[in-house]
Amino acid sequence: MSTNPFKTTLLISILSIAIALTLIWGTAQTAPNLIRYSTLSNAPYIKVESINVTSNGVYIRLALINNGSLVFKPTGGWVEIVDTGQVVNVTVINGTVIAKPPLTPQWVSLASVGVKGIVSGVLNGSGAYIAFFDVVPIHVINTIGIADVSYADCVLNVTLSVDTVVPVVIGPIINMSLFTVSTPGYYVFETIGIVNTTVYAPAGSHNVTLTIQVSPVLGRYTYVYSCNYLSGFSKYTLWLPIGVTYMYPTGNVTSYTLLTKTFVVGGGS
Amino acid sequence: MRVEALLQFALAIAYVVLWVFMPAWSISGANYSISLMPWGYVVRFFSETHVIPPPTVYAVWLFAIGAGLLPLVWRRSRYSLYLATLFSVLSLSMLMDTILFQQRYLQFHGYTIAPTPNGYIYVSLPAKPTLGLPTYILLALTILSIFNVITRARWLGTRVIEDPIVAVERVLKVLHIEYSRVEGGVKVGGIKIIRRDDSLLLVNDHRIDEVDLGTAITEAVKVGLKQPVSVGVVDYGED
Repeated sequence: MSTNPFKTTLLISILSIAIALTLIWGTAQTAPNLIRYSTLSNAPYIKVESINVTSNGVYIRLALINNGSLVFKPTGGWVEIVDTGQVVNVTVINGTVIAKPPLTPQWVSLASVGVKGIVSGVLNGSGAYIAFFDVVPIHVINTIGIADVSYADCVLNVTLSVDTVVPVVIGPIINMSLFTVSTPGYYVFETIGIVNTTVYAPAGSHNVTLTIQVSPVLGRYTYVYSCNYLSGFSKYTLWLPIGVTYMYPTGNVTSYTLLTKTFVVGGGS
Repeated sequence: MRVEALLQFALAIAYVVLWVFMPAWSISGANYSISLMPWGYVVRFFSETHVIPPPTVYAVWLFAIGAGLLPLVWRRSRYSLYLATLFSVLSLSMLMDTILFQQRYLQFHGYTIAPTPNGYIYVSLPAKPTLGLPTYILLALTILSIFNVITRARWLGTRVIEDPIVAVERVLKVLHIEYSRVEGGVKVGGIKIIRRDDSLLLVNDHRIDEVDLGTAITEAVKVGLKQPVSVGVVDYGED
């Protein structure tokens, strides 16, 4: 026996405990340098793409922008329009996120609105929420079109389908004409100048009828070639350049638009 | 070499080898996970992977190997078993300290928030902490090393010996008495002990006696102790 085993054990014990304690202390000292902070980069986000104000309601389209490799699938959420105070849930249709608050009178007097909200979904299999706030200009969509045309005994009836956010006054008509679709074409009638026929339509979706007595009474330069459809022609086009006055709360706005309609007269010989 | 000590070594090796393939401690979730491997914490965050090596993690497996190897290398004294137990306990406490490192510096609350051009994104990342299989093996190693200290690595008990000659040899070996094998038995000094069927024969210079196992061992030891004293090693025999 050269060495005392007890002494050896005691020595190694103290040594190993000292090593252990030094390591614990050293680890705590170096910890701030060892750890590393990571955050999501190029995370997907939601942008308000467009706001369309129509007579059926307001359509707010939210665009999902995926910059990186992370895939976000929207499942739901809500939107608040700061200027009107409306809060609505969004609907997800084929990956497109749409919010549809009802049309209120405030909408027609706004140029842009602040939209904030949260879209919930799944990011790479983990539940996630995207919060956003955007100020977006409003597109007011008013549509006026010709639904039906009839002409008989020098009386032109034009049925207009009016789909507007605000009440409108339709008229006057400037330089309208009805002609055959053929080669060569023939005029049925033609007016040069203003026809002061107007019709009023309230906000929303409506059909209104313009009835015009087409005769030289309308003005000096009115050329009526026939008081009925021409025989031998069944296809006609109506050109109807017309003024439309939108009655916004902030004031009336008049714009001119060209309405056309090509139609076939049933049973025309 | 005691089987008990070999078992302790086997557990230590199993622990370290298994740890290479599965984490001793982990917090796992869909897009975030922390795994404690022998080379440090492997942190996975979406597509990123980082290795954070706290120094204590190396002590965990070094101490564990020490706890397994020491009783094989140093067999003279029972203090070897004591030291091995200390090593296994130190290995365990180093593991605990490494887990505490995670709780202190790599703590995770189950979500992440990142800014976006017009807001922010909140991602919920639920994670479940689990103690891995290697840790249970380390616990078993610690318990076994303590048990080996208490029993001096002799808890497997005396083996049943069918051959009486093997029993005689075993005693002679332990006492470091020189003997030689002869046909059907052993030869110690001037006597031979030979097995014949179910009985033992003690062959002297002058006579042949039929003896029982006890007498045979006594006689062999008696003759053997007349040999020059040799210094031998008895596993964990000394204080």
